[in-house]
Amino acid sequence: MVRLVTHNLLACHAKDCNTNNFPLVFQNVQLEIREAEFNPGFIQSFLPKIEWNALVKTAQELGDTSLPIDQPEMIDDELLKNLHHVLFEIHIVEGAMICPNCKHNYPISDGIPNMLLAEHEIA
Amino acid sequence: MPPKAVAEVTIDIDPATYETQNVHAIYDTIASHFSSTRYKPWPIIAKFLSRIPDGWIGLDSGTGNGKYLSLDRDGKTWMVGLDRSINLLKFAQNAGDKAREVVLGNVLDHCWRTHAFDFAISIATIHHLATPSRRVLAVQRLLQAVSPKNGRVLIYVWAIEQDELSKRIIPQGERNETRTGQDVVVPWVLSKSNIAQNPKSPRDSREEVYNRYYHIFAKGELSALVSQAAAGLGLTIGSVVGQPSSTQGVEILQDGWERSNYYVELRRWSI
Ligand SMILES: [Zn+2]
Repeated sequence: MVRLVTHNLLACHAKDCNTNNFPLVFQNVQLEIREAEFNPGFIQSFLPKIEWNALVKTAQELGDTSLPIDQPEMIDDELLKNLHHVLFEIHIVEGAMICPNCKHNYPISDGIPNMLLAEHEIA
Repeated sequence: MPPKAVAEVTIDIDPATYETQNVHAIYDTIASHFSSTRYKPWPIIAKFLSRIPDGWIGLDSGTGNGKYLSLDRDGKTWMVGLDRSINLLKFAQNAGDKAREVVLGNVLDHCWRTHAFDFAISIATIHHLATPSRRVLAVQRLLQAVSPKNGRVLIYVWAIEQDELSKRIIPQGERNETRTGQDVVVPWVLSKSNIAQNPKSPRDSREEVYNRYYHIFAKGELSALVSQAAAGLGLTIGSVVGQPSSTQGVEILQDGWERSNYYVELRRWSI
């Protein structure tokens, strides 16, 4: 499944695409919401590694506005629950991810993103 | 299962094309049968994963059917699985009967934010790459994926030193394999019942044999590969102790052999 936790790690790797190649922009997506086990301890330690702006922007594009624009210093229970939902419960089943820089299209099929490039597109 | 005879090969075509035909296409065909035989984790890898700190995120580069994705200490750690075989990823997607994150991609590509991960594992994967330079690049991709501060990497490849219990017979080649390793193919026999699960395979034959390519590693070859990869990235090899300031490096924490495989555990450091 592509969830936002994975999306927050992926970047375009096409030839000569080195700047503004993150975050990839979802397009024509089909979503599924599936409940996942809440693990606040993991989210708390994972938080410093998240690219916050990319996560908030992408969640908003998918219709979830539960996260504050600026990363809060105080981490309360509500924030952890919202983060849990955004990171682990929104599944992107079909669609594509588009590079903001070179516009390369990475398709998603049956919940699996295809990050392969053709031979001539590889750096 | 009968003993598997291993045959020596020479790669005389473009290595990427060779890997597509002799590794990727075969795993896509045998995925279902292969996955049913791969469920027991190797002890060294299970131990490595059991010691990963809480909240760390990892990359399983060449995840196959995702059997290591389940060793997440009940959600205290978390891994993404990358593989070139879409049919294996369909198993990995639900490894341990839980929704797992998987990505279709090549281990030679760098489709991540640089240093996004805390740790990376590469299990029984780099030995499917057909040239020394491609194997070096694969190690570099792992080093780039993890944190330069304290990132950990575990690499596991097939060894020329075979276990007594091993079912494979390695041919005695002409070359000095003890230093350079050996390029071979290993047959995978798909019986009719397994083929029947895959509608694209021929149904008329009783069994099909698929020869997967492997580079069997010589003793010392894996750590030499790591040193070469590190040097190519401008990283010092060795312990952080006694280094001059403003340096980045890689320390080899473990370099060993387990049940017909060589492994190394690496730690990145920077000062
Ligand atoms: Zn791009």
